[in-house]
Amino acid sequence: MKKAFAPLLFAAALAVISHLAVIYAAPGAIMDRAMSMLSSRGIALHGFTLGERTTPQTQTVVRPSPDLAYSACLFDLEQAPAGLRVKMAATENYASLSFFDASTNNFRTIRGDGNGVDVRLLPPEMAATRTKEIGSPSNTGIILIRRLAPTQADYERAAETAKGDQCSPLEG
Amino acid sequence: MINRIATFGIAGILGVGVGVYSALAMSGLLPGDRRIGDGIEINGWVGDLRQGSVDASPYLRARIARHGLLAMAKSEAIYFIRARDDAGEHLTEDCDYKISGSALPAGWWSVTLYNSENFLPDNMDEALSFNSNLSSEDAWSAIISPTQPDDGANWISSRNAGKFDLTLRLYMPAADALAHPQETIAAPTVERLECKEQAS
Repeated sequence: MKKAFAPLLFAAALAVISHLAVIYAAPGAIMDRAMSMLSSRGIALHGFTLGERTTPQTQTVVRPSPDLAYSACLFDLEQAPAGLRVKMAATENYASLSFFDASTNNFRTIRGDGNGVDVRLLPPEMAATRTKEIGSPSNTGIILIRRLAPTQADYERAAETAKGDQCSPLEG
Repeated sequence: MINRIATFGIAGILGVGVGVYSALAMSGLLPGDRRIGDGIEINGWVGDLRQGSVDASPYLRARIARHGLLAMAKSEAIYFIRARDDAGEHLTEDCDYKISGSALPAGWWSVTLYNSENFLPDNMDEALSFNSNLSSEDAWSAIISPTQPDDGANWISSRNAGKFDLTLRLYMPAADALAHPQETIAAPTVERLECKEQAS
């Protein structure tokens, strides 16, 4: 019995360590994979890219809504040390601008309410001091604009509006 | 000495196996587990208002990353998933269903059908969801079926969906819906109508 104690303790310790490693690593790994996949499908770093109208043939991430037009911007604040200017053009229908960090947290969402939104995304080491500044918890992540567009005509209107979106590095 | 090393080797492999498997199971990363969370159940619809939030536990965060990546925090949208009908049977393309509900406490809402891989089913029916824009009355219903109903009823297509589930999205949820979801959200019912006869 005594002989079995040490191996059992060893197994239990490895079980706890591997359990925690998987749990804490999974969101980051899934986000990394999603960012690579989006990049390979033409989503720009530091620029909004409007996705095609969501259909079974064009879907890229899990559980996309076919009623929304998505514009995505990948960010890497190590490559934009002064931050990013993020602008969502005004939309009549529902629209939101949401920011996701490298661990999948939605750290900020701003609703359009018919008006445009113009904010500055700052790297983790810079403190946000003004209302239009948002501090990012991580250097990398995804910014997503959702616009209500349940029909082809709505999507075409959203596509026209999306030309006014902006996601670009600020000068240092 | 060799026996001792072998014993520790086997113990290590077992330990890692148990740790990895339990992590995958508890965070919804095993095949077949499609729950977004388990914080709230309303009439068979399961959701978790901590989705997308920094307050989410590591387990919920992993679950959301797998089944609902880029979900927004509850102030903007809340999400519920349902994989069984009112009788508790799995939703499947082999059966037709009627989904019925009343007004929902949100600025806009939708019900969308997804296959077991968390994607829209591969069809060209352009009937992937039903939303509040299509409902002029408080009470609403839609038929879930692989074929379009003849009577002009609202339709969500389950063609090529296999075993599927439904996601209910409430955008711009009312404050009451966030504070007292079980009392204020009249989640829709899903009644099985008829099933295709299975070949014996």
